Amino acid sequence: MTEIQKNGPPPIEVRGLRKVFRQATTGQSVVAIDRLDLTIASREVVAIVGQTGCGKSTFFDLMIGLEAPTDGSIRIGGKSPYADFDFFRGHMATVFQQDRLLPWRSALDNAKLPLELIGHSEEEQRERALSWLKRLGLENFTNAYPHELSGGMRQRVAIARAFSVQPQILLADEAFGHLDEVTAAELRETFLSLTRETGATAILITHQLEEAIAVGDRIAVFGQSARLLADIHVAQWPPSEYGTLREAIQWTLQNQRPDPRLAQAPSAAAQSH
Amino acid sequence: MPLEAIEEHRTPVPVLSFPRQTVASLLIFAVCWETLSHLSPLLGIPPFAVPSFATIARSMARITPLDVVVTLARVIGALIASFTVGIALAMAMYRSETLDKYLHPMVRILMAVPVVSWILFAVLWFPGVEFRIGFVLVVVCGPVFLVDTLDAMRNVPRELRQMMRSFRPTVLQFFIKLMLPAIVPTIFTSWKVNISLAIRVVTIAELVGAVTGIGHQLSVAQELFSVADVFAWTIVLVALLFLLEAVVARLEARILRWRA
Repeated sequence: MTEIQKNGPPPIEVRGLRKVFRQATTGQSVVAIDRLDLTIASREVVAIVGQTGCGKSTFFDLMIGLEAPTDGSIRIGGKSPYADFDFFRGHMATVFQQDRLLPWRSALDNAKLPLELIGHSEEEQRERALSWLKRLGLENFTNAYPHELSGGMRQRVAIARAFSVQPQILLADEAFGHLDEVTAAELRETFLSLTRETGATAILITHQLEEAIAVGDRIAVFGQSARLLADIHVAQWPPSEYGTLREAIQWTLQNQRPDPRLAQAPSAAAQSH
Repeated sequence: MPLEAIEEHRTPVPVLSFPRQTVASLLIFAVCWETLSHLSPLLGIPPFAVPSFATIARSMARITPLDVVVTLARVIGALIASFTVGIALAMAMYRSETLDKYLHPMVRILMAVPVVSWILFAVLWFPGVEFRIGFVLVVVCGPVFLVDTLDAMRNVPRELRQMMRSFRPTVLQFFIKLMLPAIVPTIFTSWKVNISLAIRVVTIAELVGAVTGIGHQLSVAQELFSVADVFAWTIVLVALLFLLEAVVARLEARILRWRA
């Protein structure tokens, strides 16, 4: 049993994170993330919102460990998701905007995939994948190929695939954005309850403010180059004020500076800096 | 009619099926051939040039199964060797950009060399007949497998590669669980192309430097001025090609049943 498994999800510490890309066509440098500081506590569910091109997806890639930071660091329990890539096998799982199921695998085989990579026995793979598919209401579709399933069902399989390894850290990139409103709300709820139940730390990237407010314990509002405009603790906002909160976030995004109304809550952006 | 509608209305033709039109066109050809065969003396054509079907049937009866088996074994053996070499090099080139930069020009040069040149090189370089034929087949078919496989690997959607990498597979798992299954449709297409290529190449190679096989028998038929024998052996070659294609198509249908 690893350190992560014994003690639950470790905190995530992002310090001075910077990512610069060089454009292949023009040779110009583009700063996708500019000195981001963010701390995420164990078992916290953090929604990251921001406008298109603000660096959310780059942050997601850096969190997964697929990209190396240009400068600064991401530390999860003292380990870097990029430098200690293999360490996080089975501890970190992802749900993407599109389901990204392998078309040649059945729902069951797709849900089993991360377990195969870890090297669980065939029996355990099957048992665990089946149990997650059942929990997501897909018990009658375990042998169906992705093209035989609806968009919502495919995303359920993708969620089952992510949860099958019982990850300590869950990353979701616009995971419900492409679904119709009813299906998205349903899946969001399922995702959140499963995350709470498993005790995982979750980071959800979204451009939908309602989704961020509904799901997140905290909302990190990213400006351009992933500048942290506001760090909102949702619990400090009564549900009756969610409309105001939504407006304040929207104002923040539009004006690229924190809305003064956010300062009324104790955990507003000014305090986090 | 929009493209989708054309696709919808297109009836898939099963492998080795004989639709009415195919049978009709074959019958028309057969009637024309037979008529020409009977009229050839009147038209000043030597009788051996257009043999009747009865003569061709007699030649068919004299087909030696051993030569068929030898040619078939050479084709299958060389295709398996070419596939193994092609896919291994493609995987290495996919992994290493440096290796790709060095090998890619070589592969292009190999593919540009005419088959006849390879046969002559093989005859001049190697003493063993089997090795010569194997060499020619591998050097002609291998690059096709390599280029097709490499292209297919590069065309695996970035989204799937990112998803797979996010679960942190080993290099071997990445290839076995994602890349290989993803390129299977291309591999089948490549096999179909190479079967046809290999049958043509093996025939020429046997024609020049072998003492067994269908190519050698074609050479004997040519020395004997027996068009009937050439016709008979050609029928066997075409049948072999159809048979191998049917086997690949059957495998393809079974393995790619996940496709809608």
